[in-house]
Amino acid sequence: MGVGQAPVVKRPWLPRWLTSEHPFPWLFPAAALMVVFGLYPLYKAVETSLYKKNAATRKLVWDPDFNWTKVLFDERVWNALFNTLMYTGIALFFQLVLGMLIALLLDSDRKGYGLLRAMMTLPLVIPPSVTAMMFLLMLNGSFGVLARGLVAMGFIPPGFPILGDSSTAMAGVLLAEIWQWTPFMVLIMLAGLRSLPKEPFEAAAIDGATPVQAFFRLTLPMMSKVIAIAVLIRGIDLMRAFDYVKVMTDSGPGTATETMTSYAGRIYFGNADFPYASTISLLTLILVIVTSTLFMRIFKVKL
Amino acid sequence: MELSRRWQLLRDVAAVLVTGIFMFPIFWWALTSIKPISAVFDKDRVVWFDFVPTLINYGVTLFGMSRSQLAIDDGLGMGVAGSSSYDSRQSILDSIIISVGSTAITMVVAVLAAYALSRMRFNGRDSFLNWVLGQRFMPPIAILVPMVTIYAGLGMRDNQNLVLGYVGIILIYALMNLPIALLLLKSFFDDVPQDVDQAAMIDGATRWQSFSKVVLPMVKGGVAAAAVLCFIFAWTEFLLSLFLTTQIRAIPVKIQTFVTSTGNEWGFITALGTAAIIPSFIFILLVQRHLVRGLTLGSLKE
Repeated sequence: MGVGQAPVVKRPWLPRWLTSEHPFPWLFPAAALMVVFGLYPLYKAVETSLYKKNAATRKLVWDPDFNWTKVLFDERVWNALFNTLMYTGIALFFQLVLGMLIALLLDSDRKGYGLLRAMMTLPLVIPPSVTAMMFLLMLNGSFGVLARGLVAMGFIPPGFPILGDSSTAMAGVLLAEIWQWTPFMVLIMLAGLRSLPKEPFEAAAIDGATPVQAFFRLTLPMMSKVIAIAVLIRGIDLMRAFDYVKVMTDSGPGTATETMTSYAGRIYFGNADFPYASTISLLTLILVIVTSTLFMRIFKVKL
Repeated sequence: MELSRRWQLLRDVAAVLVTGIFMFPIFWWALTSIKPISAVFDKDRVVWFDFVPTLINYGVTLFGMSRSQLAIDDGLGMGVAGSSSYDSRQSILDSIIISVGSTAITMVVAVLAAYALSRMRFNGRDSFLNWVLGQRFMPPIAILVPMVTIYAGLGMRDNQNLVLGYVGIILIYALMNLPIALLLLKSFFDDVPQDVDQAAMIDGATRWQSFSKVVLPMVKGGVAAAAVLCFIFAWTEFLLSLFLTTQIRAIPVKIQTFVTSTGNEWGFITALGTAAIIPSFIFILLVQRHLVRGLTLGSLKE
């Protein structure tokens, strides 16, 4: 490659930590970006949450306990927390089960399956806000094709506003979420399935194990690491869900689909109460940190 | 395991059916974009294929054609209020500038850091990796509130100066994509044996030379995959661009403005939406091979 002949450029006047032999110059741009746009705003968010917004004068007053006490007794926070956890749990369950089933279905070397697998990846790259619009269109009470289908099957009365009724709005939002991100699980499960060794399955088949037994006794245990990583990454993204809720229901009707993130957004835009919006945002961060750390400890996963 | 022919046929049918179900929303979306208004809003029946296709929605959103033409063609005299707000050419340009700009910055920053984290042994290496990972896990909303205030203070949010506005969004997207790009690139660098750059350095190359002339060319595929993923994530991002700028309307935000108090302009929404997802579809098919690794931050390989 000619590197052998390249003269070694030595710059003795440069301190060693500024040369390429030292990690500093390599890491500095990344560190700078993460400090300026990550740590500093985070510090400002914590600081902002310690102020109280005076409703009358619209001034910020130093009052460290105010927002953090308020948050504990705010029923809407508990509602949003419940919605966030329910949203995360239901979506994870469906994405995991459907993802595994579809992966098993598509895991074949036959002709045409490669095309089907490639098609399955397409939903992943649609902007979530556009996906939300897709389902808004299909779930529209008066002309939505999906709503019409549900009416024809007798599940809902004609003209029923699925996203406008507090009993079904969350299901409607979840439908978009599950549609878009089940392919994520499919892809990861497929990668996991393809990396499994063949011998245990051959041995099991000789011993007369049924495919179902082989799945539960062999496939699942051997895939546990892959499943744990998929659940961790997906779960973190689910807990900060915003786009679908914002576009499809705007947290409504009432607070039926309000999640932590969308509640913070509502406080921010609606009341311009920056300190309280910061507090709720930080609570979301704490939720993510606590649950992901617990998950990583319990299931012994490391990314 | 061998399946009997009947079971195999059943499996083929099921596989096609399931994929079809997942393709349906995209199909319906694209179909709606070429329907005339009357077919979209038909309250009596679902219109499948019995309509006269029209490209007017694309004409208005992508080429800035007059909206009044739409009303004339459709034989409806409904609310023709001018076309400027549906002309999305500026938004497409904004999205391209933001996505390309942030991808470029992310890649430069991430390639450098990933190389060092893969190749050098130093104190705090694991802490740095954890910091990066933590950055990936941080909900954007946590930094959003102060960022809005900071950007507004710097004149980056209301964009009297458009360039400042672009810089602001590009930098925040670069941060958003940094962890995934960095961890993905690190996993590609880890695949290259350490002996490779050791040999180059024994031959007298500096660290920089062994990186730029030897190792980097060996991970070209990985760099391309990471760049494509960064581009797609920037292209589809919604929350940050919704809050952090008032003048720059990236496509995901622009589409939301077609939701009006009198009704949703589904024709324009679906046309712009369809146009916006086509580049992503092309890109994602190009990096199929590295997709799983990218989505799992380099921890699973296909």
